Amino acid sequence: MVDQNDAPLAAAHFEEEGAPPIAQKKAGFLPIETNWFDRVFISVVIWIALSLLWFRVFEPLGLSIWISNAIAIALAVFIVRKG
Amino acid sequence: MQNAIQELGWFLLAPTLTILFFFGVLPFFYVVYVSFHSWNPFAVDPNMVFNGADNFRKIVFDPAFLNSVSVTVLFVLFAVISELIVGYLLAQAFMRDFPGKAIFRTIHTLPLIMAPIIVGSVWKLMTTPSIGIIPHYLDEWFGITMNIGTSAPAAFATIVIMDIWHWTPLVTLTLIAALVSLPPDPFEQAQIDGANKRQIFWHITLPMIAPAVVATVFIRLMDALRTVDEVWMLTGGGPGSATRFVGVHIFKEVFPKTNYGYGSTISVIVLYLTIVVCWLLYVTMLAPRSKKD
Repeated sequence: MVDQNDAPLAAAHFEEEGAPPIAQKKAGFLPIETNWFDRVFISVVIWIALSLLWFRVFEPLGLSIWISNAIAIALAVFIVRKG
Repeated sequence: MQNAIQELGWFLLAPTLTILFFFGVLPFFYVVYVSFHSWNPFAVDPNMVFNGADNFRKIVFDPAFLNSVSVTVLFVLFAVISELIVGYLLAQAFMRDFPGKAIFRTIHTLPLIMAPIIVGSVWKLMTTPSIGIIPHYLDEWFGITMNIGTSAPAAFATIVIMDIWHWTPLVTLTLIAALVSLPPDPFEQAQIDGANKRQIFWHITLPMIAPAVVATVFIRLMDALRTVDEVWMLTGGGPGSATRFVGVHIFKEVFPKTNYGYGSTISVIVLYLTIVVCWLLYVTMLAPRSKKD
C-alpha cells in the first residue's frame, strides 16, 4: 500500500525520468564555491606568483625555474580536481 | 523560436564583441607576447628579440619598479579608503534635506566632469610656490612653507588630496543609488528592537550595500592603480621618485626610453597585481561560501 502523500505525481515522475541528471555540487577544500574556470584561474594566479617568487629567491641559489613550473602544474592539477 | 532569439542576441552582440576583440583581447595578447622580448625600435638593433623570461627576472630585482609599486600601493590605500569614507558620509548627508542641497550636489559633482589632465593643471597652478593659492594661505595662516617640487611628503599628500577631490563624487553618487534602493523595513524593525546607529550600520546598512561598495572600490582601485595624467601634470613623478607611480613608471620606460619589451613586462605585472587585488576583494566580500559536507 503506497502512502498517497509520499507517492510522486505520475506526470512529475515521467518528467523527472526524461530530465538530465542535476549535477551534485561537491564541496572542495577551497573556502568559496568555485567552478572549473575559477579553479584554473586560481592555479594561473598561483603559478605566476610562484614564478616571480622563484626568480627573486630561489633561482639565485641555483634552483631552475622548471622546478617551480613543475610544482605549479602539480598544484594546478590538485586545485582543479579537489578544489 | 529559441534559436532565432539566440541568433538575434549574438547578432546584436557582434559589433561590441568585434570591437572588444580588436581593441581589448588582441592588444592584451600582443603586450604579453612583447613582454617576452627585448625590443627597442630606436636602438642600434631595432628588431624584436625573444629573451624568454629575462624581463621577468629583471623586474623582480628592479628597485625603481619595486619602489613605484610600493608608492602606488600607499597611494591607492590612502586615496580609495578616504574616498570611500568621505563618499559614504556625503551620501548619507544627501539622503537628508537641508537648505541649498541641490546647488551643493551640483557643485560637488563638478570635478567628475573634468578631464584628469585639466585637474592636474589646475592643482599645479594652485600649488606652485609664489603663485599658488594653497602655499600662499598655508604660509599666511599657519606659517607652513609648502613646495611640492622639493618636499616628497607634500607632493604625495597633494596627489592623494587631488585624487580624493576628483573622485569622491563618483563614490557618493554610487552610494546614494545604493542607499536609496534599500527597503525601509529592516531599519524600522532594528529600531523597534532597540538597535543603535552603529549596530544598524554594521549589521544592516553595510551588508546590504556591500555589492555597491565592492563595485565602487573595484572601479576606484583599477583607476587609482593606473593613474598617470594627473600625476604627470602635477609632479612628473617627482621630487626624486616620491610620486613615481607604476603608471608614470611605465610611461617613462616606454616613451622617453622606448624600451617596449620591458615596458610591456611592467604592464603585464601591474595588470596581474590589479586582477589579484580585485579578486581577493571579491572573495573576501562577495563570493558565496562553500558548504562543507
